[in-house]
Amino acid sequence: MTSITDAPASAAVGIRPPSPKRRSGRRTRHSALLLLLLGPAAVLIAAFIVAPAVYSVYLSFTNTQLTGFAARDPQFVGFDNFVYLLTNADFIASIGHTGEFVLYSAIIGQTVLGMVAALILSRPWIRGKGLYGAAILMPMVVPEVVASLTWASVLSSDSSGTLNQLTGLFGAASTDWLQVVPMASIIAVNIWRGIAFAMIMFQAALEDVPAELIEAARIDGASAVQVFRHVTLPLIRGPVFLYLLLTTISTVGAFGLVYLLTQGGPGGQTRIAAIYIYERALQFSQIGIGSAASIILLAIVLILGFVYVRLAKVEV
Amino acid sequence: MTADAIPVASQEPVAPVRRFRRRPLTPAEVMQRALGHTLIVLLALFCVVPFAWLVLSAVDANAGPNVQLPAFSFENFGRFFTNSGTPLLLLNSLIIGIAGTTLNLVLGLTGGYALARFAFRGRRTFMFSILLIRVVPAPATIVALYLIMVNLHLTNSLIGLILVEAVLQLPVTLWLLKGTISAVPIELEEAAWVDGNTRFQAIRRIVLPLVGPGLGAAAMLTFMGIWGDFLTPLVMLQSQELYPLSIGLFRAFSEHNQVDWGLLAASAIVYVLPPAVLYVFVRKHLLHSSLGGAVKG
Repeated sequence: MTSITDAPASAAVGIRPPSPKRRSGRRTRHSALLLLLLGPAAVLIAAFIVAPAVYSVYLSFTNTQLTGFAARDPQFVGFDNFVYLLTNADFIASIGHTGEFVLYSAIIGQTVLGMVAALILSRPWIRGKGLYGAAILMPMVVPEVVASLTWASVLSSDSSGTLNQLTGLFGAASTDWLQVVPMASIIAVNIWRGIAFAMIMFQAALEDVPAELIEAARIDGASAVQVFRHVTLPLIRGPVFLYLLLTTISTVGAFGLVYLLTQGGPGGQTRIAAIYIYERALQFSQIGIGSAASIILLAIVLILGFVYVRLAKVEV
Repeated sequence: MTADAIPVASQEPVAPVRRFRRRPLTPAEVMQRALGHTLIVLLALFCVVPFAWLVLSAVDANAGPNVQLPAFSFENFGRFFTNSGTPLLLLNSLIIGIAGTTLNLVLGLTGGYALARFAFRGRRTFMFSILLIRVVPAPATIVALYLIMVNLHLTNSLIGLILVEAVLQLPVTLWLLKGTISAVPIELEEAAWVDGNTRFQAIRRIVLPLVGPGLGAAAMLTFMGIWGDFLTPLVMLQSQELYPLSIGLFRAFSEHNQVDWGLLAASAIVYVLPPAVLYVFVRKHLLHSSLGGAVKG
C-alpha cells in the first residue's frame, strides 16, 4: 500500500527509484513512517475542521441549548429547526441580506473595480504602478478589526466625519451613514477590502492573454471596449469564474467586518446570515437552530459553487 | 496604444505598425489615457483615504473620533506600552501568532513531506477533501467547534486557541508545502541516503534548505491568518487577560461612552504593523527567489 515514488507521484506510480535496498518487506516501516509524518496533521484536521462540520449537521436536528433544560438532555427533533427557520421572517431576511451583500459587494463591486484596476495597471503608459498597486493592496493587508475602525471614522455621524466632510464640500447635510444607509455602507466597506484580491487574480489572468491578439483586434479597428468584450474577457473567463467562486465563498462567510461596524443593526438591517447564526447560537444559546441555519447557508454556498463551475465550463 | 507590448522578436512584420504607432495620439487615445489616470487615482484614493484617521490620530495627543490636524506626539504609543492592559494584548497576540504558526509549519512540513514522497491509497482524496472543506464558511461551524472545545476543556485557554488556529490554517499550508517539496528532486535525497544520512537527516540537510520560499509563504499566510482572526478568539476566549489585540481593540471600541481614541489608533497601528511588514518583506523575498530559480532553470 505504501511505497516511495518520484516527485510528481501520479506520473510515476509503480516506478520506484532504482535502489534495490528499499524493496517490499519495508512496507510496515514505511507505513509507520507515513503514520508518524501525516498522522498528527490528519487527526487534528479531522478533529477541528471535519468533526465540527459533521457535528453541525447532527446538532441541526436536535434542540441543543447552551443553557436551560435542553442543555442537559438534548432531544432529536427531526426537521423542526429547518421548518422553524424557513418560516422565520428574521432568518429569511438575513439570507436576503447575505444575498444582497454578496451580489453588490463581491460579485459586482469587487469584480468590476478589481478588473478596472488590473486593466489600467496593465497599460504601458501608466507611471507609478507600484505606488497605485500598494495603495490598493493596503485594505487587504490590514486585519478586519482595523478595517472596521478606519471605516467607523469615515462613516461617523459627526459633521467632521471624513465622508460627511467630503459630501459637505458639495453642500450636502451631514448623515449618520451607518444608521441611514447601513447596507450600502457595509457593501462599500467590503468592496474597499476586496478590490486588491480581485486585482491580483485578474492581473495574473491578463498576463496570460497574448498581446498579439489584442494588437490584431486593434488593427482591425476594434475599440478598447470591443477588444475587452470580445477578445480579453473570453480568454480570462476561467480565472474570472474562479475568482467569483472564491469571493462568493468568503463573502458568504464574512462576519467580523459587518459585526464590528453594525453588530447586525440598526433593526436587523445588516443582520447577514453569519450574524444571525452567531446571535442564535452564542447569544441566545439556541445551538440547534443556529446549526440548522449554518446548514442552510452551507447548502446555498454549495449550490452557488456548482452554478459557477457549470457556467465556467458550458458557455463558449 | 500598447506600443511597448509588441513582442521584440518579430521585428520585421511589426516595423510598419511601430511607425504607425509613433504618430501623435488621437483625441480618443488622449481621452482614454486621461480616463485611465483619473480612475486609477480615484481608486487609490478610495483605498487609502480611510486610513487617514488612523494614522493622524495615532500621533495626535488630543485625538478624537474624526480626522483632524494632529498635535504631533508619540505619547499614544508610549501609553500603549505603559498602560496596564494593552501590552498584554500585544503579548497574547504574539504568543498565539508565533506558537500557532510554528505548530502549523511543523505539522505542515511533516504532513507535506508525507504527501509529496509517499504514494498511498486515498492521498488524492485526502488532498482534495482538505481543500474542499474550506468551502464551509467559518461562522457555520464555529458553534460546533466551540462545543467540541468545551468537551475537551480547551475553551478560554491560549493553548486551545493556538491549536485551533494552527489547524484551521493547515489545509493551505499542506497544499503549499506538498507542492514545494514535490519540486525538490528525490534524487537529491537519495544521494544523501547513499552517503549515510538517515531519512530525517536527509530531510533536514537537503529538503529544508531547498523549500525556504514555500515555507516563507506558508509562514506568512498562516501568521497573517491567525493574527487577523476575529471570530475564533471572540468565541473561544472569555477572560480579559487572554484577549489578543483583535478582541481588545473591539472591546475598547465598543465602549461607546469612554473611548480613548488616541490609544485606540496607536493600538491599531501596532496591530497592523507585523502583517504589513511581513507582507512587504516576504513578497520581495519570494519574488527574488522564484526569479532566481527561473534563471537557474
